[in-house]
Amino acid sequence: MLTGAAGWGASARAADTEGTPVKGGTLIYLEQQPHTNLYPPAGGFYPNGGILNQITDKLTYQNPKTLEIEPWIAESWTVNADATEYTFKIRTGVTFSDGTPLDAAAVAKNYDTFGRGNKDLKLPVSEVINNYDRSEVIDPQTVKFSFKKSSPGFLQGTSVIGSGLVSPATLALPYEALGDATKIIGSGPFVVASETLGRELTLKARPDYNWGPAKLEHQGRAYLDAIKYIITSEDSVRIGALLAEQADIIRQIQAYDEKQVEDEGYLIHAPSTRGVNNSVVFRPDNPLVADLRVRRALLHATDTDEIVSTLFSAHYPKATSIIARTALGYVDLSPKLSYDLEKAKALLDEAGWKAGQNGLRQKDGQPLELTAYESLPQPQNKETLQLVAQQWGKVGVKLNVLTADSGSTTLNNLDPAKAPVSPAMVGRADPDVIKSQYYPTNRNVLLQKGGTSDKVQSFVDEKLNTLLEQLASEPDREKRLAIAGDVQNYVVDQAYAIPIFEEPQAFAAAPYVKGVSFEAVGRPSFYDTWLARRR
Amino acid sequence: MPQYVIGRVGQAALVLWSAFTVSFVLLQALPGDAILIKFLNPELGLGPDQIAEIRASYAADAPFWAQYLHTAANFLTGHFGYSIQAGVPVSDLLLANLPPTLWLATLGFLLAVVLAVSISVASALLPVSWLRSLIQSVPSLFVATPVFWLGILLIQVFSFQFKLIPVIDPGPWEALLLPVLTLAIPISAPLAQILMRNIDDVMTEPFAAVARAKGASHHWVLWRHVAKNALLPTLTIGGILFGELLAGAVVTEAVFGLNGIGGLTQRAVGSQDIAVLQALVVFSALAFVFINLTVDLLYPVFDPRLRTTQGAVA
Repeated sequence: MLTGAAGWGASARAADTEGTPVKGGTLIYLEQQPHTNLYPPAGGFYPNGGILNQITDKLTYQNPKTLEIEPWIAESWTVNADATEYTFKIRTGVTFSDGTPLDAAAVAKNYDTFGRGNKDLKLPVSEVINNYDRSEVIDPQTVKFSFKKSSPGFLQGTSVIGSGLVSPATLALPYEALGDATKIIGSGPFVVASETLGRELTLKARPDYNWGPAKLEHQGRAYLDAIKYIITSEDSVRIGALLAEQADIIRQIQAYDEKQVEDEGYLIHAPSTRGVNNSVVFRPDNPLVADLRVRRALLHATDTDEIVSTLFSAHYPKATSIIARTALGYVDLSPKLSYDLEKAKALLDEAGWKAGQNGLRQKDGQPLELTAYESLPQPQNKETLQLVAQQWGKVGVKLNVLTADSGSTTLNNLDPAKAPVSPAMVGRADPDVIKSQYYPTNRNVLLQKGGTSDKVQSFVDEKLNTLLEQLASEPDREKRLAIAGDVQNYVVDQAYAIPIFEEPQAFAAAPYVKGVSFEAVGRPSFYDTWLARRR
Repeated sequence: MPQYVIGRVGQAALVLWSAFTVSFVLLQALPGDAILIKFLNPELGLGPDQIAEIRASYAADAPFWAQYLHTAANFLTGHFGYSIQAGVPVSDLLLANLPPTLWLATLGFLLAVVLAVSISVASALLPVSWLRSLIQSVPSLFVATPVFWLGILLIQVFSFQFKLIPVIDPGPWEALLLPVLTLAIPISAPLAQILMRNIDDVMTEPFAAVARAKGASHHWVLWRHVAKNALLPTLTIGGILFGELLAGAVVTEAVFGLNGIGGLTQRAVGSQDIAVLQALVVFSALAFVFINLTVDLLYPVFDPRLRTTQGAVA
């Protein structure tokens, strides 16, 4: 099977390729949180991606092993030299589950919506599409997209969950109606059969499905008859239910529970999300961390080895750059990320922060005391931040770790005065992901001026922004990867971010669940999945 | 009498309107709003211009009074708006979450009453004194049991260990069995304590002594005289416990993965999903008003002393 184990964790072994696939059966999938709005560009949220990846197809397929872009709904494509025009040849005979043909017109409508948004329907623009201008239907099976500026990341952008193709009927609905999964009409191997809001979702296989990614060995309909998603928020209940054979696969298993599951002969799948690593970032607009020496001191005061070995498992590799080792354009920056307490102390001394009476460093009577808000979706984020706080305590810096509801966290995190330190990560298997993370008008994790936060006083890093713009618009692949390397070096040299670990999405599955595969950023695909022992 | 009913209904409407207005003002005073939180969330990676456009399309920056009147008019016509976070109409969310909570709370409360009565009757009637004191300590044990822990324990034992009741994909009654038990046990504790105390008190009343002196048995006195007198204050407390019942339901819903108002409220608070919160407040007020109105109108039916004077108006 093409979607082999090599791309992700070690413990999936060769289980996937044993035996001949058996048709039929219902896969019981335990999900931690209910899905939210299923407008495809919102597919980044783990529960959303886990559904959208079964019910929608994409224009192209990113091979999770090689990260190459392969044909899927598009049979072939051409890109002009400066990556401002993309022409796709659409496969014939593909239909959405409501019977509408998936042709050039439907693709054009999808991308016009994702690339420009739709004000009347309140549909936002997709994060992965940069510089979009317009589409042009050349013939029923050919569509051409034009861009205002070079958009080299677009081809990969056509392969991600957020670019799942949906029926024109779905795109005619307002944003507020798209949380109802039954309204999301795709062309994927599964179709939403029924939904109990917040509790349960059932997908049925589409018997006439015959347009899987061209290079996959498996063609035709999915092996499973159905998939049942059941929301089970409590960790111990999910694991208990899996081991008691009431469920087949569960999403979100904590590193400390892995051993129990593996001891029983169950499998941990921990596909990498392959983007910007789970990191701690600084907001230099806050005067306390405006000094490069302070940030560098804290970088060297952070013992990533200790965090990974204490809180996580082998499925959470230690970060050696701001992006994952398996990401495109990765460069190894381990020498710059060393743990060195003496260096950290020297840097703080040099910056004028002297140890006070209570061991806390002070300057002009002000203590070096910082705050970070826990990020609820990231694995053991609070524990991670608390361990970082302990480590920084050794050099006389205090880090307060606060927990709040997701609303307050989002708002406080936009204020450099309230959150000078913040956890951050994002997954996408294209160098554009670096721009997504740091650029002011995208996720803007460093809180530069010009972004969504109105609390930023003055911080802007023109050099960083120029590099990020080049990264998103350099059509030459080699040059683009070189720029990706430059950005990684620059962010670490400026100590804007302290990369901690490469974040996987962790699943546990019964041994008889075969052929579970994952797309390039760790969302599960059940197209190839079959149950070796009927339930 | 019609005047009394009209007055009561008028009062109820006033309470509802106040609940709506106060919650509207408070929810507007929150530092953020659902649109901000949903779209500022880095998950979507939108730029400031795009967010400004979306805010404008939701009329999120309209004047306070315009928003208030708009929302009030919508509520009056039965339109509760959309949940920004979940992406579905609020009425769909209420339909999916109200019935399970009502079932859970009602059955949990009934079972709690059954448990409380059994415990207190056993403690009053058991002939062996050490057994009696053992039973009397049960409520303290129950009240000290965390709902969360109890739920997990019941699942581990009955579902995972003995495989009697599936917790995943159960039938409609199987789905309620363990959650109802989880909810009933801690709720039964204060009920049982009050019931036991009342039985003891009433037992020492002169009329009980008189009944016994006339040759009545212990059982006869308990059932004919004491029970009736001890049950009324217990049921009054039971009403007050209803709030606790809903709080316990939040945890129970989470542990058993059930749909319900508790979980819905929790998620709506987390994402400041104002449309959902506004509807929840109004619905809670409606439930409260309805229960009180029913009690008020039924009072004369139950208490003969109130029938002649229509004293309930006072």
